[in-house]
Amino acid sequence: VIPVSRRQLLGGLGLAGAGVALGPMAAALGSVAAPVVAGGATSDGATSGGPGGGASGGSSGSGANRTYPFYGDHQAGIVTPAQDRLAFASLSVLDGITRNEVRTLLRDWTVAAERMTRGQMVGETTDLDTPPLDTGEAMGSAVGGLTVTIGYGPSLFDDRFGLAAKKPAPLVDLPPLPNENLDPAFVGGDLCIQACSDDPLVAFHAVRNLARLGLGVVDYNWMELGFGKTSSTTDSQATPRNLLGFKDGTRNIKAEQTDLLDRYVWVGNETDQDWMKGGSYLVARRIQMFLENWDRDYLEDQQNVIGRTKTAGAPLSGGREFTTPNFHKKNDQGQPVIPANAHIRLASHEENDGLRILRRGYSFTDGIDPVRGTLMGGLFFIAFMKRPDQFVTLQRKLGTDDALNEYIQHIGSGLFAVQGGLRRGQHWGDGLFV
Amino acid sequence: VATVVAGALAVPAVAVPVALATPAGAKTTTVNVTVTPQGCAPKPAKVATGQVQFNVKNKNAGSVTEAELRSGDMAHILGEQENLTPGLSGGFGLVLQPGKYVVYCPGASKQQTAFTVTGTSKAKNWKTNAVLSGAVAQYADYIDQNTATLVTSTQAMCAAIDAGDQAQAEKLYAQARMFYERIEPVAEVWGTLDANIDARANDVAKPSDLKGFHKLEQLMWSTNTLDGASAYCTELVQNEQKLATLVSNASYDPITMATGATDLINEAATSKITGEEERYSNTDLPVFQANVEGAMEVFNLLKPALQKTNPALVAQIQQRYQKVENAIEKYKATPGYDTTGYVEYSTVLTPQRRQLSTIVQAFAESLSKMSGQVS
Repeated sequence: VIPVSRRQLLGGLGLAGAGVALGPMAAALGSVAAPVVAGGATSDGATSGGPGGGASGGSSGSGANRTYPFYGDHQAGIVTPAQDRLAFASLSVLDGITRNEVRTLLRDWTVAAERMTRGQMVGETTDLDTPPLDTGEAMGSAVGGLTVTIGYGPSLFDDRFGLAAKKPAPLVDLPPLPNENLDPAFVGGDLCIQACSDDPLVAFHAVRNLARLGLGVVDYNWMELGFGKTSSTTDSQATPRNLLGFKDGTRNIKAEQTDLLDRYVWVGNETDQDWMKGGSYLVARRIQMFLENWDRDYLEDQQNVIGRTKTAGAPLSGGREFTTPNFHKKNDQGQPVIPANAHIRLASHEENDGLRILRRGYSFTDGIDPVRGTLMGGLFFIAFMKRPDQFVTLQRKLGTDDALNEYIQHIGSGLFAVQGGLRRGQHWGDGLFV
Repeated sequence: VATVVAGALAVPAVAVPVALATPAGAKTTTVNVTVTPQGCAPKPAKVATGQVQFNVKNKNAGSVTEAELRSGDMAHILGEQENLTPGLSGGFGLVLQPGKYVVYCPGASKQQTAFTVTGTSKAKNWKTNAVLSGAVAQYADYIDQNTATLVTSTQAMCAAIDAGDQAQAEKLYAQARMFYERIEPVAEVWGTLDANIDARANDVAKPSDLKGFHKLEQLMWSTNTLDGASAYCTELVQNEQKLATLVSNASYDPITMATGATDLINEAATSKITGEEERYSNTDLPVFQANVEGAMEVFNLLKPALQKTNPALVAQIQQRYQKVENAIEKYKATPGYDTTGYVEYSTVLTPQRRQLSTIVQAFAESLSKMSGQVS
C-alpha cells in the first residue's frame, strides 16, 4: 500500500467546476494502488476490459475476489452474472446546480467507481488532520464481483442542464399502470446508481461513497438494499428463489443468448441518440408482496398462481425446471393445465408476441409495514430492455390479469437510460455533455 | 386465490414436500436409493401411502449425478436430489398418495425403476360427506341471496343519485357495498366483472378506466358531485346482474369456501386496514365488518365437519374471531358516520389500525388452516 495524499486523488474537488477536460478524480487515475481486498489476492487494474472489451466479458480472480471489467461495449451490471446483493439509489440534482457541476460529478463517479470495482478504495488518506477520502467500511472485504451501473432519469433532460436535445425519444416517464399504488417517496430521480456485489457491505459502500462525492450536487431520493438475487442471468447460475418461495427467472434472457440481447436489451442503431448505443433502459419497480396472505394460500393454488411447482420449479404442464411450458395442454376437464391467469403464462414471450426483458431483481425488506404490522418487503424488480415500452406492454397485461396481483402491489418506480459502455479514458456523461 | 370456483383445476398434487406439509405424528417410511453406473433401484420398491423419506447416495457413478421421483407417466418431477458426485449423499421427503411412480437417474444404464405406493387414496370425497355437501349447498344459497340484495340495494342508491340526493346516495353506498364485501372471493373468479364492480383507482390502467363502486365513491366524496354518476350507477347494476346470473349457475366445494373465507380476511387485513379500499368515503369499517361476516358464514357452515376433524382449530377460530369483534366494537357508533353504525375511518389512527391489523392477521392465519381439513 502506497500512502498518497488526498491532493493526488481528489485535489481540487469543488474547485473543478469549470469545464475541465478531465474531472479532478480522472486526473489522478492510476496514481495509486491501494487494494481493498484482503490477503493480497487482488485482481488489479490490468485485467481484461480495455477498449472494445465487453463488460459482459470474462471475470478476473475467483470466488469472493472476482472482479468484472469496468470498461467495455456495455456497462457492467446488466448481463454480468447476477451478484447476490444490491444497493440501489435514486438521486436528484439540487436546485441551482450547473451543467458543469453535473458533468464533473459524473466524471468523479467514473473514476471512483472504476477503482472500487477493482477493489481499490476511492482514495487513500493518511493525513490525520483530514477526514478520510474513503469511508472505509469495505476495507478488508473481497470485491465480490462489484459492478456499478449509472442511469439517467427523464427529468435530467429538462431545461436545467441544456440536455433537452440529448434526450432519447423513448425516455419518458412510465404511464400510470394497473395495480400500482406508488409512494411518491419512491418514484423517479435524475440519476440512479445500481451497485451489485456478493458482499452487501461492498455494494452499500459503493453507493455511499458515490453519494458522498455528490454532496452539494445531488441528494438522495430513495434507496433500497436487496438481500438476495431473484434472477439468474447466465446459464451457469442456479435459479434463485424469491420471497414467495418459488424459483424466479427460469426463463430470463441469459448472457449467452446474444441474439436475444441484441433484439430486446441493447439499444442499437435504431436510437435517435448516439450516446445510447450499446446502452439499455433500466426499469426499477419496488413491489410489495403481501407475504402473510401468500403464506396462507394452499399449495395447489400457489402453484396455479405461478404456473410452476413450488419445489422443483417445473411448469405445471410437466417436465423439469427448464422444460418449455406447454401453454396449450389441457386437463381432463378441458381446462388449461397452466391456468389462463398464471403468472408465467401472462409474462411469457409466447403470449406477448415474442417480447422479452432481462430481469435482474432482488428481494428486499424494509422492516415492518407501519400500519399493517406485517413484513414490508418483496421484490425490488430491476429489468433492462431496448425500449421502456417493453415493460409497459408486459405490465399492462400482468397488472390487469395476473393471478399474483392479489398478493403484490407496485409501490415504487423509476425509469433510467443507461448509456453504453465506456472505454478507458471515457467517463459517464460523455456524449451527453458535448 | 381467485381461480377455483368454476371447474376446479386438476393439477397433479400427489406429492407435497414434507417441509411444507408434515402431518403431526405421521409415520415416515424410509427408502434408500443407491446410485451406481447401472441404475438407482429404490429399496424397498413398494411402500404404504404417507410420508416417505428418500435417502439418495451416489456410490460410484461418475456419469450419473441425480435421482428423481417422477409420476408414473414420467411427466412430473415430484422430488429430486441433484449434484451428487460419487461418494456424496442427500435426499428429499414427500407425502405420497397411492399409485405408480418412477425413480429416474438420467445417465445410468437402467435409468428408470418402478416404485409403487399402496393403500387407500385420500382423494377428495366431500360429495359423499353429508355435512360437507350440505354446507356447500347452503353456501350457494348465501351467495345467491347476497348477490340479489346487492342488486336491489345498488338500485336504491341509483334512485337517490337520479333524484339528485347526494346525501342519501352516500348513505346507501356503504349499505350496498356490504353485500358485495361478504361474497367478494366468489365474484373475483370472473376477473373483469370484479374489476368492473369493485376496482380501486390504483387497480386500473388509466384513470378514465375507473368505473363501478369506487368511481361513484370518487365522484361523491372527492369531486363532490353527482354529475355523470347516473350512467356509472346504471352500468354497475348491469354488471351486478351479470354476476347474479353467473353465481346462480356456479358450483362450489369446501376448499373454495374455506379459502374464500381466508381471502376475505386477507383483504380486510391488506386494503381495509390501510384505508385504501374506501379512500374517498372513509367507510372502511362497515365493509371490514362485511368481510368478517362473510368469513364467519363459511366457518359456521363448515364447523360441524371441522368439529370432527380438528376441534382445536374450531376453538382457536372462535377465540380469534371474538378478539376481532371486541376490537371493532370500539368503533361502533349510533347512528355513526353516514349512518353506517361506525365512526369515520379517518379517525382511527395508525397505532389503532396497527392493533386491529395484528388481531385480524391472527384470525386469517387460523382460517387458512380450514382448507386442509375439509377436503
